Amino acid sequence: MWMRVISRHLWELGIFLQALLTITLLVKRSSRKFPFFAAYSFFCFVKSSVMYVLVFYKRQSISLEHWMQGYWIAEVVGIILGFGVIYEVFRKLLNSYSALHALANAVFKWAFVVLTVLGFVVLYVQLSPGHAPDAGAMYLVEEAVRTTEVGLLLFLFLFAGAFGLHWRQSIFGIALGFGLFISIELMALTLRSYLPESFNIVRSIAFNTSLLLWLGYLLIPESATQDRDMPKLAQLEQWNQALMELIHQ
Amino acid sequence: MMITMIVLAIALCAIALLYFAVRSRRIHAGGQPVRSLDLQAFRTLMDRDDETFLRNKVPRWDFWRLKRRRIAVTMKYVGRIASNAAAVLQMAEAARQNADAEVAEMAAQVVDMATQIRMQCMVAFAKLTAEFLFPSLQLTPAMLAPTYQALREKVLRLGSLEPQNAAPLATAI
Repeated sequence: MWMRVISRHLWELGIFLQALLTITLLVKRSSRKFPFFAAYSFFCFVKSSVMYVLVFYKRQSISLEHWMQGYWIAEVVGIILGFGVIYEVFRKLLNSYSALHALANAVFKWAFVVLTVLGFVVLYVQLSPGHAPDAGAMYLVEEAVRTTEVGLLLFLFLFAGAFGLHWRQSIFGIALGFGLFISIELMALTLRSYLPESFNIVRSIAFNTSLLLWLGYLLIPESATQDRDMPKLAQLEQWNQALMELIHQ
Repeated sequence: MMITMIVLAIALCAIALLYFAVRSRRIHAGGQPVRSLDLQAFRTLMDRDDETFLRNKVPRWDFWRLKRRRIAVTMKYVGRIASNAAAVLQMAEAARQNADAEVAEMAAQVVDMATQIRMQCMVAFAKLTAEFLFPSLQLTPAMLAPTYQALREKVLRLGSLEPQNAAPLATAI
C-alpha cells in the first residue's frame, strides 16, 4: 500500500518538474537550440499527465488492452526521441571540431552497429527457452534498446574525454541527466524480476533526479573559463633540471 | 545470467563515468591547466640515436631499466602536450565565434591542429605503453614535436590577432 502512495507522489512530483522544465525550455528559447530534447521533454510531460489522469481518475473508461497498447506506443515514441537526444548531444558536442567529424561519425556508426547487435543478443538470450519473460516481451525490447543508448552515451563521454573536448554547460547537463536516467532504468529493467515492487519507484526516482539535473544545468548561468593555471618559471626550471638529471643518470 | 551481468556492468560503468565526468568538470571549472613545455628536452627524449647508442653500450637489463625510465618521463611530456592541446582547443573554440573573419579562420586552423595533436598523443601513448611493456620494441615515434611547434606558432599568430584572449595562452604553452 505504502509503495503505491510513494509511487503516486513521485509521479506527481515528476509531472510538476516536467512542467517546470517545459516552461524553462520555452522561456529560455532552448527549444530552438535543442529541438529533440525539447520534443522529448514535452512528450514526457504530456505522456505522464495523460497517464496520471487515466490511472487515477478514468480507470474504468479504458480497457486493459487499450491501456497496454497506448503505454507501449508511448514507450516506443519516447525511446525514438531518446535516440534523437543522444544524436543531438553528439552533433552539438562536435559542432566546433571539424577535424574530428569524420572520425567521430565513423566511430559513432560502428558503436551503434555493435551496440545494436549487443541489444539483439540481450533480446535473444532473454527470450530463449529457460529464460521465460516475466513481465512481457516489450520489457526485454526496452532493455535491449536501453543497452544501446547507454553504450552510445558511454562512447560519447569516453570520446570527449580522450580528445579533451569542452562540454558546454547545457549540453553537459542534458547528457548527464539522460545518461543517469537510462543507466538506472537499465539496471532496474535488468533486475525487475528480482525487485518487481520497487521497479516503478526506482524508475521514477531516476527520472525525477534527471529532471532536477536538467533544470539545474539549464537555469544556472555558465561560468567563465578565462582564468588559466599559468606556470611559474622557477617550477619549470626545476622540472627541466630534474629531467636532465634523470636522463643522464 | 551472464548477459544480465554484462548489462549490469555496462550500466554501472556508465554511472561511474558520469561521476568522473562531473568531477573532472568541477576540477577544470576555471579552464584547462596550461603548463609550459621544453620542446628541446622532448626532442632529446624521443631521439632514437641515443637509444641505439645505449642499446649497443650497456647490458640488456640496464638498457631495459633505462628505457623504461625514459618512457615514463616521455609519457609525462606527452601528457602535458595533450593537456595543453585541450586548453588550446577550448580557447580556440571560443575564438571561432569572433566577429573578425581572420581571427575566426585562424581559430579554426588552431582547432584542427589541436585535435590532430590529441589524436597523435593517443597514438604516442599506445606506442609508449607497448615499448614500456616490451623495451626491445622500437616503434616509429609520433610526429608530435614538429606538430606541437606548428601549433605554438599558430597560437602565437592567433595571439597577435586577438591579444586579450589568446596571447597569454600563446606564451604559456
